[in-house]
Amino acid sequence: MKHKEDVWGWMLAVDFFFVGMGGGMLVVTGLAGLFLRPGVTSLLGNFAAPLFISIGAGFLILELGRPLQAWRVFLNPKAILTIGAWNMLVAIGCGLLYASFGIPGIPWADWAVLQQILAFVCVIVGLVVATYPGFLLGWHKARPFWTGPGIIGLFLISSLVTGISAHILAGAILSPISSKLLNSMPGLLAGLLSLQLVLWVGYILVKRTGTTDREAIAVADWINGELALAFWGGLICLGTLLPLILLLLTSETAHTIGALLVILGGALMRWMVVRSGEHRTWLPGEQYYLSKLPEGDEAFLNVWDY
Amino acid sequence: MARYVIVLDTRRCIGCHSCTVACKINKDLPVDMIYNPVTIVGPSGVFPNLHMTHIPLLCMQCDNPPCVDCCPTGASQQRDDGIVWVDEDKCVGCKACVMSCPYGARVPNPAKGIVQKCDFCMDRVELGEEPFCVKTCHQRARIFGDLENPTSEVYKLVNSEHVLRLLPELGTEPHAFYIMD
Repeated sequence: MKHKEDVWGWMLAVDFFFVGMGGGMLVVTGLAGLFLRPGVTSLLGNFAAPLFISIGAGFLILELGRPLQAWRVFLNPKAILTIGAWNMLVAIGCGLLYASFGIPGIPWADWAVLQQILAFVCVIVGLVVATYPGFLLGWHKARPFWTGPGIIGLFLISSLVTGISAHILAGAILSPISSKLLNSMPGLLAGLLSLQLVLWVGYILVKRTGTTDREAIAVADWINGELALAFWGGLICLGTLLPLILLLLTSETAHTIGALLVILGGALMRWMVVRSGEHRTWLPGEQYYLSKLPEGDEAFLNVWDY
Repeated sequence: MARYVIVLDTRRCIGCHSCTVACKINKDLPVDMIYNPVTIVGPSGVFPNLHMTHIPLLCMQCDNPPCVDCCPTGASQQRDDGIVWVDEDKCVGCKACVMSCPYGARVPNPAKGIVQKCDFCMDRVELGEEPFCVKTCHQRARIFGDLENPTSEVYKLVNSEHVLRLLPELGTEPHAFYIMD
């Protein structure tokens, strides 16, 4: 009962991770289709994008208290979760349809206009999918670590770096028709990773020094608290700095390992951010009150069978 | 149209938790679900001048309830009289409201797979009665009524006493008013 204020769990972090990665992949796929030419991204990567979004949506459904009633989340168009759910649906549909153009002999293979339209839609919905967890979290005024617009940029850039990384991995497994874009992806990824590093350091610093006391307390966990090892060791060193070094090497194996580390760093980041949302701005005396509640396994709680 | 509010007089509250127990009984809540805890601030001061305050918490029945805005199913609703309530048939237990509520007033019920909350005992209010916690409070630390009615006790208290609202900076316009020392 001490932790009875039940909050979002790890499945939502997994949802954010897969959805973000899928959204980032969809943006890359769409942009490549619009400004380069179809076939510069791996067919595996093109199909993986909507698949990852579907996996994320699946975890979101499992996180619900009543998963079989999940259809109801489409019913309130004013809610950001509803907008996100509809957008995910469009992203999955468009992503699959766009990817299908890469299947040899598909009847609509010559419908170039449709392909271009789908590429454009993929970019738009992919950007929304990649960004919307940040919007969702930034809206929470009472969750000091999340609140504010900064988290939006962090989620967008993390989605893009994990999306590009996933495309690099997909390209390593199933090569695209042309490897022109694939060859330039490590450099692009390194640039975005550097930007992500700057944004994260800035976010933590601003929260620590420039805002309210409760935000400073929330971020202390990341700097030298229980999440410090995950942040400094996991996200910054293994998920950012080491991949940066690997991506600047010329070895394809190094690029693949680097991309894998970036993806793992992205997953870790989602978990840490969701976990940090457990901390609400406390009301007077609330922390002490919660600390006095039983843990949940005390004998007296189970004496009476309801 | 009525606008129901609650005034919580912390000068009168002695921290007996009768309201907490009454609510659990009236709403038939599981043992680990509490809608209206009473917290303690203090003791503060220097002996022998010590002071301790009991703060009854509950759903603030906000005018701008973030829990209603974020609900993807429309289960969280606000009535014209200001009462925020949950249509349990529509709730899917996504916990968006739990995360958005700054006051911790949303309580997940894992057995039902939904989220529940204090609704000012709206079934009783519709019959012209007070919420059960208010009826139970023997110290009269909880005063319930219609803020739109100039003859009501809550109207007089809100307009004559120095009342506070919790986390007003968040813009939720809570309609639980605290009278502090």
